[in-house]
Amino acid sequence: MTSDEPSNESRPPCQQAARGFWSEAWRRFRSRKLSMAALGFVLFLVLVATFAPAIAGTKPVICRYKGTIYVPCLAYFDRTLEPVIFAKDKFRGTYPANLAEKDPESWAIWPLVFQDPYRSVRDNEWPGEPANPARDQGAPSSRNLFGTDQYGVDVFAKMVHGTTVALLVGFVSMGLAGTIGITIGATAGYCGGWVDMLASRLIEVVMCIPTLVLILALVAFVDKPSIWKTMAIIGLTGWTGIARLARAEFLRLRSSEFVMAARAAGAGPLRIMARHILPNALAPVLVPITFGIASAILIESSLSFLGFGPPPPSVSWGSLLNDARSNLQMWWLVVFPGVAIFLTVLSYNLVGEGLQEATDPRLREARK
Amino acid sequence: MVSYLIRRLALAVVTLLMITGIVYGLARSMPGTPLTIEMGESDPSRKLNPADIERMKKAYGLDKPWYAAYFVWAGNVVRGDLGRSISRKQPVATLIGERIGPTLALSGSALLLTWLVSIPLGLYASARSGEVDERVVSFGLYVLYSFPTFVAALFLQIIFAVWLRDTAWELPLFGMRGDGITDETSWFASTADMARHAILPVICQSYVSLAWYSRFIHANMQEVVRQDYIRTAKAKGAGPWRVLVHHGFRNTLIPLVTLLGLSLPALLGGSVIIEQIFTWPGMGRLFFESIRERDYPTIMGLTFMFSVLTLAGQLVADVLYAWVDPRVSVE
Repeated sequence: MTSDEPSNESRPPCQQAARGFWSEAWRRFRSRKLSMAALGFVLFLVLVATFAPAIAGTKPVICRYKGTIYVPCLAYFDRTLEPVIFAKDKFRGTYPANLAEKDPESWAIWPLVFQDPYRSVRDNEWPGEPANPARDQGAPSSRNLFGTDQYGVDVFAKMVHGTTVALLVGFVSMGLAGTIGITIGATAGYCGGWVDMLASRLIEVVMCIPTLVLILALVAFVDKPSIWKTMAIIGLTGWTGIARLARAEFLRLRSSEFVMAARAAGAGPLRIMARHILPNALAPVLVPITFGIASAILIESSLSFLGFGPPPPSVSWGSLLNDARSNLQMWWLVVFPGVAIFLTVLSYNLVGEGLQEATDPRLREARK
Repeated sequence: MVSYLIRRLALAVVTLLMITGIVYGLARSMPGTPLTIEMGESDPSRKLNPADIERMKKAYGLDKPWYAAYFVWAGNVVRGDLGRSISRKQPVATLIGERIGPTLALSGSALLLTWLVSIPLGLYASARSGEVDERVVSFGLYVLYSFPTFVAALFLQIIFAVWLRDTAWELPLFGMRGDGITDETSWFASTADMARHAILPVICQSYVSLAWYSRFIHANMQEVVRQDYIRTAKAKGAGPWRVLVHHGFRNTLIPLVTLLGLSLPALLGGSVIIEQIFTWPGMGRLFFESIRERDYPTIMGLTFMFSVLTLAGQLVADVLYAWVDPRVSVE
C-alpha cells in the first residue's frame, strides 16, 4: 500500500544476533495482551472440547464394574467405544442406579456436571435429584447452570459438547480452504501466462457467487447432511481470498534472487514452490486463514441457525440458537450460545490481527 | 478507455456464463424437483398423476438434461425473459420487482446509516489516535465487528419485543407491516409503521459494516497523516480540523470509492439471514425460499441478478478508482 516506507536497506543494520523470523514474530505477538488473551481462550476451548465428557455427561469417566476398569465416557466421542458389557447388562444409558444395583462393589468417578447433551435427566436418575424442568420452566439454576431447552436437555452440557464442532469447523474447513487456496494461488502466481489467466478467472467466478448462495445450494445438494460435509462445503467455498494472496506472494517472489539461485542449482518447479517460496509466502497467507476460521465458525452457526445444519443428535451452538427462535422468552437459549459464538469469533479475529501485526514488516514500521 | 471497457465487458460475459452455468448445474442436481417438493407438502388427494407430472416436466423443461435446459434458459435471458416461477406461478421478473422495493428500503437505510456514523467515528478515532478514548472506541468497534448478526438480531428481538412488550419502546418482532395497515391507511401512517418495523433489521444490517468502515477509515487515515503533505499543511498553519478533513480525509476517499462500488450487490441483493429472521419480504428471503422449493427459474433469476450486480460493482469500482485518482490509468 505504501511505497514510501523506508526500505530495509536504508535502515541501520541489526545490532543483536539475528533471530529467526518466526521467533521474532512470536516475541512481537506475545507483547500484544489482547491477542495473547484471545489465544488463551482458544486453548481453553481446545481443553473444553478434549475433556467434554469429563465436564458434563451421565456416563462415568472411569468406573470399576464386576472386577474390570472401564472408561464409558469415551462413548461421547464415538458410540462404538461404549463397553459392550453395559449394553449386555441392560444399563440403557442409566449408570448410577444400575452400577449400584448390579454390582454393589463397583465404584465410579463421575463427570463434574451430571447432565447429558442428548437427553433430559430423569427423576431420581442421580439419587435424590429431580428431573430437568422442560419448556419455559428451565431458567438457569444451580442444577442447570445455563438452563434447559424446551425438551429439558441441559444447555450447559450441550454447549460443552458442542465446543468440539465449533473448533473442528474452523480447523477442518480452513485446512481444506488453505490447501486449495495455496495450491491454486501458488500455481497461478508461479507459472503465470495462461495458467494464471485461467486460475484468476476461476477465483473471480467463485468470488462472484454470493457465499451463502453457493453454500445453501451445496448443502441442499448433498443427500445426507453431516457436520463433516458442512465443513467440507465451507472449505470448498472459502479459499478464494487465500488463493488471491498466495498468488500475489508467489508472483512477487518468483523473480527474486533466491529463486533464481535455486533454479540455477537445478531445482525443479515443484521443489522451488514448496521449499523455497512457500516458507517465505506463508506469513501473509496465514493471516486470512485465521480470519477464515472465524468466518467459518460464523457460517456454520448461521447455517445451523437457519436450519440447514447437521441433523440431531449432533449438537452445535448454532442449533441451540435455532431452538431459541421459536421460544424467545427462553432468553438463556440465546444468551449463552450467542456469547460463546461471539467470544470464539472475536478471539480468532484478535489472534489474526495479532499475527498480522507481528508478521507484516510494514505495519511494524508504522507502529514506531 | 473504450477499448478497456469493451475488454472488461467481454470478460464479464464469460464470467457470467460460467457462474450461471455452475449454479444451474448445482440447482438441478439438488435432490427433489419443484414438482415432487410441492407434492410432499400437499395432501395425498391432490397428488399429481404420472401423466400430469410428465406434462409439467415438459412445460418447465425439466425433461431435458441440465446443460440443454441451461442453454434454453440463457437464450431466453438474452431475449429479456427470466422465465416463470414454478412454485409461485408468476414471472420471475415480477417477483423480483415485488421484492426489490423492501430490500432497497432496508439496505439503503442501512448503507446510509453506515456512512453517516462511520465517517465521523473514523475521523474522531483518527483525531484522538493513541488516546484512551480512541482505544476504547476502537476496541468497541472491534467487538461490534465480531458480533454475529443473527445473535444480535435475537438479542434485540428479546429486548424490544419480549422484555419491553406493552411499553412505549416495544418494537415489532417481524414482518414489514402491522395488522392495522390497509390500503386506505394514510401514506404517513403506513410509512411510520414500516419505519417502526424496519428499525431492528436496519440496525442488524448496518452495525457490522459500520464498525468495519470506521476501522477502515481510521486505518487509512493513519497512513495518510504520516505523509509529507500533512506536515506541510501543519507547517503552513492550518488548524487541526482543517488538516484532518481537508488535507487528510480527502485523500482517503479513493479506497472508499472502491468500497462503494463493491457494496452495490449487497444493496440490491439483501441479506438472507436478516430478512429470514425478521421475515422481511425482500430478495434474500425470496432466494432462501426458492432454494427450499427447488424453484429453478427463481434461483437462476436471482443468481443472474446478483452476478450482474457484482460484476458491475467491480467495474464501477475500477472505473471510479481511475476517475478519482489521476495517477491510476485503467489501461
